[in-house]
Order: sequence, then C-alpha cells, then structure tokens
Amino acid sequence: MIKLRFFIFLSAIFLVVSLLPPWAGAQDSLHIDIFGPGEERINVFIAPPKDLQSEVLFDPELGSRIYDGLQSNLGLLPFLTRVDPGHILGGPGVEGVRGRDIDFRKFNLSRVDLLLTIGLEQHARGPGSVEIRAFEVFDQRMILGRAYDLQDMDQVPLMLRRFCAELMDYLTGSGDFFRSRLAFERKQNGNKDIWSVTPQGTDLTRLTDLRGITLSPAWSPDGSRIAFTLMRDDRHHLGIWDLEKGEEQVFSMPGNTVISPAFSPEGRLALSLDPMGRPDIYWLDGDYGVDETIMEHWAIDVSPSFDASGTKMAFASGRLGNPHIFVHDFDKGRVQRVSYEGRYNTNPSISPEGDFVAFTRQTPDGHRIFVADLETGREKQISFGPGNDEDPAFAPDGYFVAFSSNRSGDYRLYLTTRNGDEPRQIPTGEGNAKAPAWGLERDF
Amino acid sequence: MKNRTVVLLALLLGLIMFAGTGCGKRAVEAPADPAVEELTEEERARLEEERLKEEMRRQALEERRLQEERMERERDAVDAEARIQEAMEEITANRIHFAFDSYELTADARSTLQKISEHMKRFDELRLVIEGHTDERGTAEYNLALGERRARAAYEFLVLLGVSSDRLQIISYGEERPLVDESNESAWAKNRRADFKVLD
Repeated sequence: MIKLRFFIFLSAIFLVVSLLPPWAGAQDSLHIDIFGPGEERINVFIAPPKDLQSEVLFDPELGSRIYDGLQSNLGLLPFLTRVDPGHILGGPGVEGVRGRDIDFRKFNLSRVDLLLTIGLEQHARGPGSVEIRAFEVFDQRMILGRAYDLQDMDQVPLMLRRFCAELMDYLTGSGDFFRSRLAFERKQNGNKDIWSVTPQGTDLTRLTDLRGITLSPAWSPDGSRIAFTLMRDDRHHLGIWDLEKGEEQVFSMPGNTVISPAFSPEGRLALSLDPMGRPDIYWLDGDYGVDETIMEHWAIDVSPSFDASGTKMAFASGRLGNPHIFVHDFDKGRVQRVSYEGRYNTNPSISPEGDFVAFTRQTPDGHRIFVADLETGREKQISFGPGNDEDPAFAPDGYFVAFSSNRSGDYRLYLTTRNGDEPRQIPTGEGNAKAPAWGLERDF
Repeated sequence: MKNRTVVLLALLLGLIMFAGTGCGKRAVEAPADPAVEELTEEERARLEEERLKEEMRRQALEERRLQEERMERERDAVDAEARIQEAMEEITANRIHFAFDSYELTADARSTLQKISEHMKRFDELRLVIEGHTDERGTAEYNLALGERRARAAYEFLVLLGVSSDRLQIISYGEERPLVDESNESAWAKNRRADFKVLD
C-alpha cells in the first residue's frame, strides 16, 4: 500500500555513528516502565527545525509539517510531557542539530529530559532530506538518529511513524503502537463498511464497499487479511478482505449467524456460528469451511479473543443466565470465569501476554471499559464515559487500548492505555465509528 | 384407568422424593465453595432454559390443537388470491416484543405467532424471514447472538405450531436496524423485537 523504496538512508556513516553510542550502556536513564503504576513521566522538547545548509528554511511548510506531526505523535504517549517553548531559558532554538552544536545546559536547566532536533536539506525537485535526532539531555547523548529522503510531502506521516516507533522501542521496549493500523466499522448512508486508519489518525482509508452491514473486523496476524461479518440479502456471511488484492471474498456458513471472527496467532480463524441452533465458537479450516468446535454450550458463546501464544481464548458467554467473560485455556482444557460483578459483561479482548482481559461492563451510567488481571482476579475501570464506552481492543504492545464511545454524541474511536490514561479521539470523519481492531502494518 | 392413576401417583411420589434429596444435597454443599456456587448458578440458568423450552412446547401444542379445530370450522371457499395478499399484509404488520436481554416469548408474542401460523398453513406457498432485533443498550456482538435467539424462539414456536421449517428462514440484525432511532425506554421496548418478512 505504501511504497517503501522511497526511503533511502542518507548515509551509512551517519547511521553507524548515530546508532553506536545509545545501545551501548544506555540502561540508566530515560527508560519507562509502561506497565508500572503509570506515574513516571519524561519531559520532552522538540527544537524548531533547522536547515542543514543555510540560516533560513528553504520551504518552511515541510519543517512545520514535521514539527507538528512529531508533536502530535509524541502527544499520544501518556508518559511524555511537552515542555512549553516559552519555558526554555535562553530561547528554544539550537545552533545545529548535532550534539556538538547543542547547548544542553539550558535544556537541562529547563528540566527537559528528551530533546529532539529536526534537520532539513531541501532541494527544488522534492521535499528533500530529513534528519531527526533524539538526545538524552542529562547525559548529552544521542539515543536515536535517522535520515530519510522524501520524494513527496505525503510521506511525512509514515516517516514520523517510523521514527516514533524506534524512539518508543528505545523508551519502553515496544514501538508497535506506531507500526499498527486499526480497522473499524464506519456507518454511512445506512450501510456499514470496513475502514482503516493509523492509531495516530493518519491515512484514513475505505476498504470495503459492499452495500450491506459489515461488522467486527479482525486482522490476520500477518496483516494480509481482514475477516468480518457481512449482513446482506437476509443472511449473514463471512467476508474476507485481502489487502494485497484489494478485494473481498464472501463465504456462506452453515446455520444462520456469523458473529465475531478472530484470528489465532497461527492464522487460524475462529468465529461464532449456530449450525446446532445456538451460537457456539468454531475453528475454520484454511478454505473457510467449518473445522472443529472450540466452545459448545446451550447458551450464547461469542467474541473469541486470543493471546499471542495462542494458549488462551477469552470469550463472552450467557451460560450463567447473563453475559459474562470467560477464558478458555487450551493447554489445561479449562474454562476460567473472569467477570463476577454486574449483569452484562461483553466484548472481551485478551492482552497479547495473556495476563489481562479488557471488557465492557454495563453500569447504571452506561457501558464502561474494565481490565481484569487474570493472575490476581483484580479489576480496574479504565474508562469513565459519559455515554457508552464499548469494544475495547488491546494493541500489540499490550499497553494501548482502543475503544469506541458515544461520549460526544456519535460513536467515535478513542485511545487509552491499560492504566486508564486520558482518552484521545482518533479522527475518522463523519458517521459512527465502532469496533476498532489492531493489525501490524505489513512491510513497515 | 385405575392402574394408570396408581402408576402416576407412584411416579409423582418418586419425583417429590427425588426433589427432596436434591434439595437436601444442595443444602449440605452450599457453604462458601465458589466452584460449587458457580456450578449451581450455571445449573440454575440451564434449568431455567429447559423450563422455558418445555413451557413453550406445551403451550404451542395446546395452541396448535385449538387452531386446528378452528380452521376445521373456517374451511370455507373464499377467493384465494385476495386472501393471500391480505395474509401477507397481516403477517408483515405483526411484530413481537421481548424483555431486556431475554428471548422468552410473552403471551402476546405467542398469540401473534399463532395468527401468523394460521396464515402460513392456509397458504402453503408463503415463505418467511424472521428477523431478530435488539435494542441498542447491549453490545453489538452479543446482541447479534441475542437477535438470533429471539428469531429462533419465534421460529421454533412456529414449527411447533405446525409450520414446516423449510418455509422459515431466520436472520439476526442485532442492534443494527432499530425501529425507532432514539435512546429512551419506549424506543428500546419497541426495538427489542422480531419482525416477519414474506419472501418473494
């Protein structure tokens, strides 16, 4: 989808020089435990872009797009606090973008922990080359430096996601948030189709145009397909969107319902079907035919969700008279009840590590997102409305949680974390947006 | 006759004793073991489910008998074409409603289904799609399953009333197609429903 060959490293020497110091012995500072209590914070400052060859910027448009894009991307990370340019003693500017040209003392005095510089080498044919560096201010040390050759302004968002992915790798150990893409349902003119957008809100793309109602998108682990429910012509169907071919296939299933498809980490597709006259969870084979039963019960069983090892499957079941969350352990052959409170618990999403389950609970104020710790059984409410908060989905990093909410009137997508950080809306345009599903971007 | 009464009485006695021992057992096992508590909760839900099914079957058989008697009386020659049109309109004008998170057929729902079954039996060529719907308060995937349960409850009742299952098709729309696009008690009550559509 995105052409990658346009990105060429400017110079091997630059990269080697920039990479060696940080990875050697950088254990001390500026690493964040995102799974900790969530109180740790890093102060970040982005210096105004500099032209590498002249005093003034050849085209200020490119510089400000990169600067704004970086601010916006890093603004999504709850453990970073942006330092106001007005608070930098002696002014926010830097002499140059390299470490030797930076007066680290003034940033240190202004309590900046992490400093980013942007260097531009512009030419008339295209936007030109971009160098982005990240420094630990206290140690006066570069932790990440990357150069990109842009052919087109439209490549700026992808460039920034790549840089931020590596920066987040360094800071937290997983930058997959910036390597992911969300699929979701979007309602327009009475129909629902599958759309995709990056979690950073860029590259909003329509995938299906099926003149029906499509629901519950789910990514294959390799990011090549999206499975979904299609309601059309008085029947449910299984839809498979092939990202490479850019087209969908539609399959008929035995029974009357096709609900909540989900891929296992090995790429097997599970979903809820009712050939026995009740919604049970089945495996499909490679040709999308019914393979075997996973969960058979007289009551409703829907919404399978697998951890990254494929040994655990969370699901929602009405077996106790009301919907509750359960986890099936394939190795132990055992079903563990997860939710005990409330009378309506649905939409489970198990974390990749298999240690937490996020789910929706109906409260007197509407649906809210809760996270249950499977080890201790403890629960934490991570969303607080108003309205209804639904469809929680753990990101591949096990840290971010996407969900849908009608807190602003219509349903929109939001990002929070498993610590319950302040939700941020993901722009998806007009029309209700629901059911976010994370996938890893192919060939990122 | 007398023998049968004796046998029935004996059976009844047996049942009472069985129930008695069951209760006694539960009373012993009840305290504080969560595993047992959970089993009991699940067992309760299952028994409730079975009770509903049994009740539904009993009522359907009763309705079916009454209905057949009535149709016997009514079997007079009337213009079929006009009446089939009328029947189709009457079928689609009907809908049945449900309580929150429930697919139990109410008395009203059963009598509506009975009317529909009469039309279906009078006109063999009619085929129906039963659409199960929910209100917006649940969540989408579970609601899709609940809509299926609702459509299926109507389907099973119609089959028990003597409508051939190959003339019936069911689909759940979950919360996707509300009748009233509002968020209040009265809209939700209207939206928790099964609709009937005649297939061409």
